[in-house]
Amino acid sequence: MAAPFVFGALLLVVLPAFLSFALAFVQYDALSPPTWRGIENFAVIFRREVFWIALRNTLVFAFSAAPLQALGALMIALLLHPERRGVRVHRAAVYLTSVLPDVAYALIWLWLLNPLYGPINLTLAWLGLPTPAWLVDPRTALASLVIVAAVRVGEGMLLLIAARRTAPDSIYDAAQIDGADRLRTFWHITLPWLAPWLLLLLIRDLVMAIHSSLTPVILMTGGGPGYATTLLPFLMYEEAFTHLRLGEAAAMMVVVFALIGPPIGLAGWLTRRWWREDAA
Amino acid sequence: MQRRKTPQRASGAATAVKPMQALSAPFGSTALQRIVRLWRRKRIGRLLRHVLAWSVAALYAAPLLWLLVASLQPVGQPPPRTLAWFPQGVAWSNYLEIFRVAPLGRQIGNSLLVSVAGALITLLTASWAGFAMSRLPASSRRWLVGLALLLMLIPSSAVWLPRYVLFSGMGLLDSYAALVAPALLGTRSLLALMYYWSFHRISCEIYDSASLDGAGVWALWRRIALPLARPTTLAVAVLAFTHYWSDFVDPLLFLKSTQRFTIAVGLRMLQQMDATNWPLLMAAVVVMVAPVLVLYLLLQIILDKDASLHLRSSRLWRDAPIHLQLSAGSRTKEERR
Amino acid sequence: MIRIVGVLGIALLLSAACVALEPSSARAPEQTSVTFLISGDPADEEAYRTLVEHFMAEVPEIRVELLNIPGQGDFRRRLTADFAAGTPPDIFLINYRRYGPFAARDAIAPIDAFLAQSDVLRREDFYPQALAAFTWRGELMCMPQNMSSPVIYYNKDLFDAAGLPYPTNDWRWDDFVNVAQMLTRDLNGDGEIDQYGFGVEAALVRAAPFIWMNGGEIVDDPAAPTALALAEPASREALAWFVSLQNAHRVVPDAVAEAAESSLSRFLNGRLAMLMESRRVVPEFRRIEAFDWDVAPLPQGKEQASILHSDAFCIAAASPYREAAWRFVEFANTRVGQTILARSGRTIPSRIDLAQDPAFLDAQARPHNSRIFLDAIPTLRAFPALATWADIEGAVDAELKQAFYGQIALDDAIAAATMRSAEFFSRQE
Repeated sequence: MAAPFVFGALLLVVLPAFLSFALAFVQYDALSPPTWRGIENFAVIFRREVFWIALRNTLVFAFSAAPLQALGALMIALLLHPERRGVRVHRAAVYLTSVLPDVAYALIWLWLLNPLYGPINLTLAWLGLPTPAWLVDPRTALASLVIVAAVRVGEGMLLLIAARRTAPDSIYDAAQIDGADRLRTFWHITLPWLAPWLLLLLIRDLVMAIHSSLTPVILMTGGGPGYATTLLPFLMYEEAFTHLRLGEAAAMMVVVFALIGPPIGLAGWLTRRWWREDAA
Repeated sequence: MQRRKTPQRASGAATAVKPMQALSAPFGSTALQRIVRLWRRKRIGRLLRHVLAWSVAALYAAPLLWLLVASLQPVGQPPPRTLAWFPQGVAWSNYLEIFRVAPLGRQIGNSLLVSVAGALITLLTASWAGFAMSRLPASSRRWLVGLALLLMLIPSSAVWLPRYVLFSGMGLLDSYAALVAPALLGTRSLLALMYYWSFHRISCEIYDSASLDGAGVWALWRRIALPLARPTTLAVAVLAFTHYWSDFVDPLLFLKSTQRFTIAVGLRMLQQMDATNWPLLMAAVVVMVAPVLVLYLLLQIILDKDASLHLRSSRLWRDAPIHLQLSAGSRTKEERR
Repeated sequence: MIRIVGVLGIALLLSAACVALEPSSARAPEQTSVTFLISGDPADEEAYRTLVEHFMAEVPEIRVELLNIPGQGDFRRRLTADFAAGTPPDIFLINYRRYGPFAARDAIAPIDAFLAQSDVLRREDFYPQALAAFTWRGELMCMPQNMSSPVIYYNKDLFDAAGLPYPTNDWRWDDFVNVAQMLTRDLNGDGEIDQYGFGVEAALVRAAPFIWMNGGEIVDDPAAPTALALAEPASREALAWFVSLQNAHRVVPDAVAEAAESSLSRFLNGRLAMLMESRRVVPEFRRIEAFDWDVAPLPQGKEQASILHSDAFCIAAASPYREAAWRFVEFANTRVGQTILARSGRTIPSRIDLAQDPAFLDAQARPHNSRIFLDAIPTLRAFPALATWADIEGAVDAELKQAFYGQIALDDAIAAATMRSAEFFSRQE
């Protein structure tokens, strides 16, 4: 019964992924047959300043978007976890942001962040606050992309609400008897209880931030102004499909893998450690 | 459901509270403590929470509202520079105009075909794979689950070009088969895993007794496993549908004829034509977003009513979030009863 | 319920398979079918569709399938992917600045032989500048369809309202700045500019004519370039003038205003007086009813110069239907074919004999001053033919844009562009 799945996985993902990996060591322009190039592709991309800019941007982006996302998810999850009247509506409002198609989401934000007519700047101006140029200004462009990615906390929120529910009421009762106030209860019970989930969520967000950055960059900034929002996936896409340098694009992909490999390994190891006992 | 760790953790947390109290004493009755004391008075706390919850929801709903407002501004004049709703009137005609400017109607039809086909095939393949995982002996299961987890880590960008070459070799370019192909592996391996996790909870005895009655593997899958995993099926269907509806890069690469373009590519084309014609662009976004929102809301309503089946425990990376939320909500309802 | 799902799934699988087969089954057996890829807005697509229909009426045994990918970036990525998969379009229309990578990899079938055997087309019928732009290492790779150069589109009503005379054909840089300043206005006195004098894309392809007019060069040796020459005094001076239009004179929308509403959109809505664009906007501008407009030549500098814009039909070397493809290309470049496209306003014919033709110089259709496109032809220059030219242009544009909008200093921009483009001069693929 798993035959279609295994067949599809091998044919559509595993085999192509290996081919992509092999490409990192050849010179290939898709028009003439590939020729062996060894590690020269890596030497070429390491010599290119734009590659380092993109690498730095990618790290800054992922390491600011993911923690913000996890923090936001935590705060909203704690706010919205008790079953009360209207809570379903609140959760739906937060969650729906995360299910919008990427293309639509990027275009909506392009409008929201419009420096002159966008509702965000109109609101800021109405409140008498400064109105940044967001995506247009090289100093704020990457930060804008971080914000756009970080407010999508729907999935994390649901996960943490579910995780919070697994905490038995007895420990909260015990804390109440001891006279612990809310802050302490949070600090000493809720947070330690959620810590494993939070960590895994953080790692997941880190990986997803890198993987899913392509569509917003294509639609919202095109990598600019200058190279301010050129992230590795976008650079890779441009190298391969616009400039026909598939070997170098594949080498960049290997670098991306090297970046996200350790967090994924860590996540796998932690999951196994924490949940070994009740994994069947 | 109770975890072995629970008692130990609970006591640890309870004892840790006391030193904390001692620590905070030197601060005396500072403003902070006064706030904390106020916070303790439940009524104010509850009110505050309520206000906070509504403002968070409003904050998240606001972009969609703004989207709607932006889509109804008249074309050709500079957009308003104030927060007023409709200073220049409401232009419902934008929604007719986008269907005139771009072949949106046809693109929506194409997207519907692709998404429905993709979702249906996914339901079959993902549930088969999940069923196989749940029934196989431990060694092969570990192999399968490992494969599924591995698939989640490979970025789609890594496989575009080889896939493109593959599809062209198979003569599938410019056909919807190329777009729906990922359904073969359950669209995303997460969906197969979702089935695995929900089948996994079905106790062996049910299968055993059915097997004694002479039911084969297919019958077990069809008569026992699937009906028991109805919420998962709904969730997988919605997730898969949304995946194909939202898919942007695949149709951009694999489709050639403009008549076959899907709505995601259509939106990009509209943006390419006139990047700052905001009202029309936003109207098209509304058209693309609406079905997704409606589907999710419907799913929530259906699963709310269907409280008979739900998860008993929730573990990270084992339960799809949507599934979790919905069943988590219904569980408390049931427990209160 | 499960059964229904299963049956539906299989039905849909089958229908998907049918859809996959549809184009081949719909084709009559004796017909050859060729694909033709373009990139343009709906008005462009309309013009080429008319051309294709005329051709199919004339030559029924060949079916041409027109494919359009709006957006130059998306178009090039699609073309790349198609070539990579070994399924390129049989014919594609591409700018001379972009065909290098394909020519360098022998992906385009040279058309010298076809042209030599043709009964209806002669090499002498076409402008030599356009032919030269598509000549790669001595071989003519593609058949130029059009040729034009950037001009200044201006809103006559805004000139009238400001009491200014329309631009003359011999205006100079200083006149231009003066006019642009007088047309940049805050109409309602709220301190925000509502009407801009000038709109231009901050890109090398727009700045290049001014560099050449000033006696400058873009690369050190146009015949065998090895580096950018933008730091040379004459080039730098022209670039400084170009960026000052925005960051000093403020007659061009700043980065924020441009992101909020593009210059093209402002012009269409009557809130921008002059726009530097190529011929491609004409079909869209002909739909303007709210005001009258015309074209003026670029303001003059020390020398006369402008930049060549030209698109050509290329035939893929991997196409099994090169003969059929040529028949379409041949038809498209006959008087009849080029007239069809010229009438849409989209293109200026690459045929010398057609340039004077009423189809193009139609006194009734706007722009009335179309003759200036012809007047500029002797002064046209082209970017060097390099396989990596797109990389070089990209590196320059990224910096130029920031200098134009005052985000970095011009000299820093030139230095960065020179450094980042260096590797693309040395690596010839």
